[in-house]
Amino acid sequence: MNKLLIAIFLSFIGGIGLWNVMAEDVSFSKQENRILSPLPTFTASNFFSGDYTKEFEEYISDQFVWKKFWTGMKAHTERVALKQENNGIYFGKNGYLLEEFEKPEEQFQSNLNSIHSFTNKAEDITSYLLLAPTSVEIYKEKLPLYAASYSEKEVIDLAKKQLSGTLSFIDVYNTLLSKKNEQIYFRTDHHWTMRGAFYAYEVAAKAMGLTPFGLDDFSIDMVSKDFYGTYYSKANLQDIKPDQIEVFQPKFDVTYTVQYENGERSNTLYNWDYLSEKDQYALFLSGNHSLVKIQSTIQNGRKLAVIKDSYAHAFIPFLANHYEEIHVLDLRYYHMNIHEYLKNNEIHEALFLYNVANFSKDTNLIWLQH
Amino acid sequence: MVFSSLLFLFSFLPLTLIVYFISPRILKTTVLLLVSLVFYAWGEPVYIGLMIFSAVIDYFHGLFIHKYRMSKPLKAKLFLVSSLLINIGLLSFFKYADFLIENINLLIGTEWMPLELPLPIGISFYTFQTMSYSIDVYRGRLLPQKNPISFAMYVSFFPQLVAGPIVRYENMAEELNNKRRFNVAQFADGVKIFIIGLGKKVLLANNIGLLWSQIQSQDLNELTVMTAWLGIIAFAFQLYFDFSGYSDMAVGLGRMFGFNFPRNFYYPYISKSVTEFWRRWHITLGSWFRDYVYFPMGGSKKGKFITYRNLFMVWGLTGLWHGASWNFVLWGLYFGLIIAIEKAGWLKIIRKLHPIFQHGYLILCILIGWVLFVFEDYSVGLGYLKIMFGFSNNSLWDAAFLYHFYTNFILLLLVVVGSTPVMEKIPHSVKDKQKIAIKLVLPLCYLIILCLSTAYLVDESYNPFLYFRF
Repeated sequence: MNKLLIAIFLSFIGGIGLWNVMAEDVSFSKQENRILSPLPTFTASNFFSGDYTKEFEEYISDQFVWKKFWTGMKAHTERVALKQENNGIYFGKNGYLLEEFEKPEEQFQSNLNSIHSFTNKAEDITSYLLLAPTSVEIYKEKLPLYAASYSEKEVIDLAKKQLSGTLSFIDVYNTLLSKKNEQIYFRTDHHWTMRGAFYAYEVAAKAMGLTPFGLDDFSIDMVSKDFYGTYYSKANLQDIKPDQIEVFQPKFDVTYTVQYENGERSNTLYNWDYLSEKDQYALFLSGNHSLVKIQSTIQNGRKLAVIKDSYAHAFIPFLANHYEEIHVLDLRYYHMNIHEYLKNNEIHEALFLYNVANFSKDTNLIWLQH
Repeated sequence: MVFSSLLFLFSFLPLTLIVYFISPRILKTTVLLLVSLVFYAWGEPVYIGLMIFSAVIDYFHGLFIHKYRMSKPLKAKLFLVSSLLINIGLLSFFKYADFLIENINLLIGTEWMPLELPLPIGISFYTFQTMSYSIDVYRGRLLPQKNPISFAMYVSFFPQLVAGPIVRYENMAEELNNKRRFNVAQFADGVKIFIIGLGKKVLLANNIGLLWSQIQSQDLNELTVMTAWLGIIAFAFQLYFDFSGYSDMAVGLGRMFGFNFPRNFYYPYISKSVTEFWRRWHITLGSWFRDYVYFPMGGSKKGKFITYRNLFMVWGLTGLWHGASWNFVLWGLYFGLIIAIEKAGWLKIIRKLHPIFQHGYLILCILIGWVLFVFEDYSVGLGYLKIMFGFSNNSLWDAAFLYHFYTNFILLLLVVVGSTPVMEKIPHSVKDKQKIAIKLVLPLCYLIILCLSTAYLVDESYNPFLYFRF
């Protein structure tokens, strides 16, 4: 037994060690959606500062072989041990992965203040705020037994109460709750689906003085059956079934010109290239951009600015059928003066669209206070 | 570098083993010295000078103490005192200077700036090792090591460098001076102890520690009574498996290179009294204080007053050794007090109780001790104790407690069983017929622990960067 054990041990640490050396380095991890550490270069100064050794350790762990196998093994061990979560993602019922909504701290209030100071200053602008709940709120009953998640309704209602006087608050909560039997959220991702966005759009349209199109006006295509979202990447449970992605395309006649801040142009609201990538949700409006300008063939002169997180990406395609121009601004990347931007582009309507979990933590709304 | 890291397991250790076993016998000690220096320099490139300084100083002190021991006892004593002063000085300067400054500021209103020096890794351990060496040479229990490489290797040997055990020179002397022969059984023992230690640290300590850190981060006002108990129990197991796992890995590595380090933990949580607990917990520290502080001050042989004075002295120091903060001193004195009470007759009384009460008594004492230990601000610790014992208006339990409890139930079972000698006994208790099965099953168990530990370590570095990339 001793010799067998020694052989196992030495070939395990030696074999994997050798494999790590032989395996080619990867610069970007799709699963983790981040750039992996490269092999650091040795200099006396970074050695004595301790940076070299730190970077080298990051390099070794980032480039470790069979990462998916190991993290999967950990996730499944956790589940066998009755753990109901992994890396902060709950293992919900019916294959749902859910993320706890934590009680908001000061950032939430300061974001409300930012919006308030924006509406105070922008008197000639009609502002709307839509705070979408996330899946954990709508599918509370799918949480593991006794698992905690703070009430998003309470937080949405608080925002509504504070800001109703200064802007028009679009409350989609009850509507989404009533449609929960449909696929309005992804099971494996933190976003809503385009169907969820559609029901929110029906509510929003009324608040914004638009006549919404109905379900019948769209042809609904299933464009993907193998979408594994961000929750999946964190939870690492490999037996979770993938999500499907629906896209609602108008049956009526309308075309768009989409212009991105990097000069790219397109005549569709979707970037189908992302269907072959890990993050398929990025097909909506081609993922994250600081500034996107959408012009449509609806010639009514109406212009709208959308200040948003990525929940807006599946939502904006519906609004694009009502506005001649939509300017989509992402405060995480767009740090210029918004008031000037609206003035220069003669925009008189602004929609803030965030999911409540992101809204209560996002530190970029401060850019509204130019 | 820590043993429970991918870097150590899959780069440093395999390379070290290869270099060690292919180098000629005469160079093996030198090789171990060099890899130890690399190991130390990896985390502390600057403080390596300090350790080398300490080794050189103690090497010469050892020689001089021995030289004058018989002929000029006073001179020998001077060298001993000088060695102790240098070691204690180093330790005090790096570990306790800021503590001292803060207290002086507080006491007489000065405004001295704290030095904010980072604590050199392992300094609490290697200074204690070298002090024991000088004292033992002075007492004539040891011959000094004449070979500077061997001595430097003893001081800096990487397995016990970071977190003990405190290995006395006598534990390594024979292996250092004679040729170590490779012995399959010894190496295999090392592998076993190392893997068990790795599993204790990575699978048990880290995970039960997660429970503690979740509970600790809760607002004290919202903490329920049951959650408070669960939290400190989780901490008790985290500390035990962390520390003893690390000691096991050190002992295991020592065996792989042919050294037999003393065992540092012997199932402390199965004790039936606090006195017994401290004979099983961090054994090498306890025996160090016993042999080099308690006994020299007269131990328990000079009357009651001196006995208890010595007792409290040792326990205050033991507390202080654990960290430069008053709560550690308080924690040490707390145990000093209990041990004094046990010594004064309480032990005889509880011995007559049913074992269940003895265990219950011990566990209660230990858990209260850990509350004192874990909260640096002892007013928070007292608040926590109040919640545990119902002297607050906090509720008994809530949904969060139930969630913590059932999702950690298996883990709690494992740590409870792992704190008893049950697992160690199983392989010895099987009948001969089943021996062959055990021979195959055991290596498989070790392999599973290795795989799972690797999986958990890889997962630690797995950082999906997703949340803010909507």
